[in-house]
Amino acid sequence: MAPIKGSSKGAPTKGGAKSSKSSTPSSGSRVSKSTKPKGKRPPPKEVKAKARTAPENLKKKKKRVYTEAELDLPRLNAITPVGVVKPKGKKKGKTFVDDQEGMMTILAMVNAEKEGQIESKMMKARQLEEIREAKRKEAEARLAEKKNKLDAAKDSIRNKKKRKSDGGDNSTAVAGVAAKPSKGKRKSVAFA
Amino acid sequence: MRSLTEEETKTLFSKLAVYCGRSLNNLIAPPSDDGASAERHVFRLQGSRVFYLPLKLANLAVSVPRANLLSAGTMIGKFTKTGKFRVNITALDVIAPHARNRVWVKSNGEMPFLYGGNLVKAHIGRFSQDMTEHEGVIVLSADDKPLGFGVTARSTAETRKLEPTAIVVFRQADAGEWLRDEDTLFTT
Repeated sequence: MAPIKGSSKGAPTKGGAKSSKSSTPSSGSRVSKSTKPKGKRPPPKEVKAKARTAPENLKKKKKRVYTEAELDLPRLNAITPVGVVKPKGKKKGKTFVDDQEGMMTILAMVNAEKEGQIESKMMKARQLEEIREAKRKEAEARLAEKKNKLDAAKDSIRNKKKRKSDGGDNSTAVAGVAAKPSKGKRKSVAFA
Repeated sequence: MRSLTEEETKTLFSKLAVYCGRSLNNLIAPPSDDGASAERHVFRLQGSRVFYLPLKLANLAVSVPRANLLSAGTMIGKFTKTGKFRVNITALDVIAPHARNRVWVKSNGEMPFLYGGNLVKAHIGRFSQDMTEHEGVIVLSADDKPLGFGVTARSTAETRKLEPTAIVVFRQADAGEWLRDEDTLFTT
């Protein structure tokens, strides 16, 4: 701290003779920074600093105007968080709904929404029910077909048996002699 | 005691619309009977509880300090801290006449329901047509007295095929709460 002050004091004494303008604190501070490492250079730099200071001051003033308008500030760096920005000129606090019309409009909106939901739910349920019904019918049909097939098979077996049994009865009924050739035939068939 | 904000009104109505049909309008604008204009009823918020009361009474209730006012009119339910709305058993008399779906319980099913049980199929006498599952329903006794309300577990079509022990209605509130929750009904 001490050396800075000393250099700043020293600068105006040297440059004071050349120009009376450079008495601003900003110019002094700039000079002090530059003069920190080496003390010989100040005179030429002082001139440059002075040249810069005049337009820089003007620029700074302009910048201050921009910051007030919050044009250059990134939104995330602002004091108020992005989500919490409240519109200006709006009434503070809650807005109550106490009139009948307002409540009716809200109720109508809610009712419409609810009925839409129920309607879609019903439609969905009906469609599902239809699908289920179709599946059930299909399963029933398949089961019936299977049963028919089984019955047919059973019948065919029964018929075969009947025929055989009928054939046997006939042979016995006609004559005991007739049975013998049939047996012989069977044997012949079996061997053939 | 204050009137509800827009958001609160919407939450309240969407909850009431679960149990009530279009005739919910009658709560706000009661139909004038015999030519005389019916008294207007309003919803008011006291603490987290919502009350339904005649406008005249609501205006009178303003003269009672908030801390001292326990109840005025009919309590409909309460707002939770997350902003949802819970309908209370006290609202039964308000919503029962406007119910969208109804279930009539046989006399043998009344006591199990009033003790806080769900409704099984064996206890149900009859029910409204065209109900879908998870829909609000008012439970009535065989002689048309409202006993409570709940949500359906199955749709009407499915219910018909169910076995007698299957749950048909999940209980949400029943008249037994008047006794069971006597101490906490208006305080917490």
